[in-house]
Amino acid sequence: MHPLEKQFEKIKKENRLGLMTHVVVGYPNLETTRELVKTMSESGADYIELQIPFSDPVGDGPTIREANTAALENGVCVHDAFILADRLTHEDAIATSLLFMTYFNIVLTYGIEKFCHDAGKAGIVGLIIPDYPLEAESHEHLESEAEKNNLVLIRFASLDSTEERLKKLGEKAEGFVYCFSTRGTTGVRSDIDGGIQPALALVKKYFQVPAAVGFGISNAEQIRTLKGSADMVVVGSALVKACESGGKEGVRKKMEELVIALK
Amino acid sequence: MKKLFFKTSYDADPFGYFGEFGSRYVPESLIPALDELTKAYEAAKSDPIFEQELLDLYQHYSGRPTPLYFAKNLTEKLGGAKIYLKNEGLNHTGAHKINHCLGQGLLAKRMGKKRLIAETGAGQHGLATATVAAKFGFECTVYMGAVDVVRQRPNVFWIEQLGAKVVPVEFGTKRLKDAVMAALQDWIAHPNDAYYLLGSALGPHPYPSMVRDFQSIVGLEVKEQLLAAEGKLPDYLIACVGGGSNAIGIFNAFLDDINVKMIGAEAGGKGTGKIGDHAARLQGQGRLGVVEGYKSFFLTNSDGQLEPTHSVSAGLDYSGIGPEHARLFKDGRVNYHAVTDSEVLTAFKLLAKTEGIFPALESSHAVAEATKLAPTLSKDKIIVVNISGRGDKDIFIVADALGDTNWKEFLKTKAN
Repeated sequence: MHPLEKQFEKIKKENRLGLMTHVVVGYPNLETTRELVKTMSESGADYIELQIPFSDPVGDGPTIREANTAALENGVCVHDAFILADRLTHEDAIATSLLFMTYFNIVLTYGIEKFCHDAGKAGIVGLIIPDYPLEAESHEHLESEAEKNNLVLIRFASLDSTEERLKKLGEKAEGFVYCFSTRGTTGVRSDIDGGIQPALALVKKYFQVPAAVGFGISNAEQIRTLKGSADMVVVGSALVKACESGGKEGVRKKMEELVIALK
Repeated sequence: MKKLFFKTSYDADPFGYFGEFGSRYVPESLIPALDELTKAYEAAKSDPIFEQELLDLYQHYSGRPTPLYFAKNLTEKLGGAKIYLKNEGLNHTGAHKINHCLGQGLLAKRMGKKRLIAETGAGQHGLATATVAAKFGFECTVYMGAVDVVRQRPNVFWIEQLGAKVVPVEFGTKRLKDAVMAALQDWIAHPNDAYYLLGSALGPHPYPSMVRDFQSIVGLEVKEQLLAAEGKLPDYLIACVGGGSNAIGIFNAFLDDINVKMIGAEAGGKGTGKIGDHAARLQGQGRLGVVEGYKSFFLTNSDGQLEPTHSVSAGLDYSGIGPEHARLFKDGRVNYHAVTDSEVLTAFKLLAKTEGIFPALESSHAVAEATKLAPTLSKDKIIVVNISGRGDKDIFIVADALGDTNWKEFLKTKAN
């Protein structure tokens, strides 16, 4: 069984929502990123996204975009993300599944085959590439390269996806499906778009894999409203902010708040 | 009636790939909006009423056809091939950008959209979008890099007078590429009521094809005008290439005329030796990449991060190039040369003094390329240069670059 699936079995047994958290590699610096991942893992994250910073992160709102810019200004390069993943996996023996999140240009420039191969070796189990649509596969073969290395390329669904589109996306989807909770970019929002519940019902109709809801999820209250309709939640910007204001301890506190709400 | 929409052997496939370039590499949240746009565009293209409405607007609103002018003095001065200027600067709003703005504005109206979103570099596209918004009654938001807002203040002022809102983009390099990202993000957040009026032949499918189609009127007119004047097709077409809208506009009608050679002039800035000094993507330093929704050549570092660019002209100061140009480059159909800032200023002065025409600094790249090529050709050859816009907007940059002391005094007096 793939590690993503195995963890989801555990989540189901515990009768709760799953939680995926997010860090930007090299923000505020590489050593802190490593500490943050360990903290998140100890605090009960089921999956952690390691975002490889990109100069033009089109899907990201101000918080994560600025974290990307700052990491690049710190001189963080793509290679550092592989080293970090490798250390977390092999030195820290981290128990949480790690995924790489980045934009397709990073993968393309690194070399698709090499990226998937090196990611697999570093202990990564999945890839989240928001600007890689289904149709690109016939030209780029990222999904098939990922598969060869036991990596799951995560698929997406949006509030406006048509049934016809969801049907196509749902076929052969693995791991989980990443659903955008809102129209717009990543970032903390005070409430959840009312359109998410009917959209999730449609997603459930066409996907066999669990539905993860992300974008704008920042607090316990929002998580509670997703119980029953989503299988997992994704929290990114809120944790970046928690780190900015309270460091590692700030993240630990925020994690406590989130994890309690999962049950 | 002119046939505005036609096919060439370099068109994109149904997925928007020009060979290996283009397509739509965007988050899933934009796919429904792009599907809706593609459908609406295909329907509009085959609707004779749409075509007629657009041709009417071209003629009665923008003043088309623009002249194809034989530059006799310049030709004699250079002593080689005959030079014709396609003067897109005589369009309403002063540049070719109005062509695709009218086309897209008309389409947005058909689609029932309420607001236009646009990005702009030099401000010409923002100005043309704001103009169309005023005419059709759309709300309008124009994103502009904070650096460009400073460089192109007159256009910012006019855009605001037209009722549009200018949003300075303060992140990244604060230039065109960041304005594109801000505009895309606005659209991702409001895909249902807003229309993203992209300003060049780039971005995700169907924009590169659609913008090209709305600009193809330029080449269609040149063909007709030159046949009337000379009874033959040109030997060379020259146009500047930032994203590539004016160039693809003049090239498209000639792509399958294999004897017509074409040159795209890229921004060579301070020289193409060092990344950061120029915006030339096809002179050996550009890498294959996927940025802002399309696959093409970009100025990136070895990790794929976009590198800063430089050009004296804000409109060419962009790190990517439209995907059809990438294909035309790779197929060898079009040659792309770099022109430096100083060559550009020389060409600007030359055209002003010989023909009484101020070309935009962007278009001056094409003029500079022509001044290099013409003397190497015999007198029976014909070069057509696309003057994509007029140079009035560049008064601050040109006056500064030429070090005009009276102008500096004037600015000081005005500031007080």
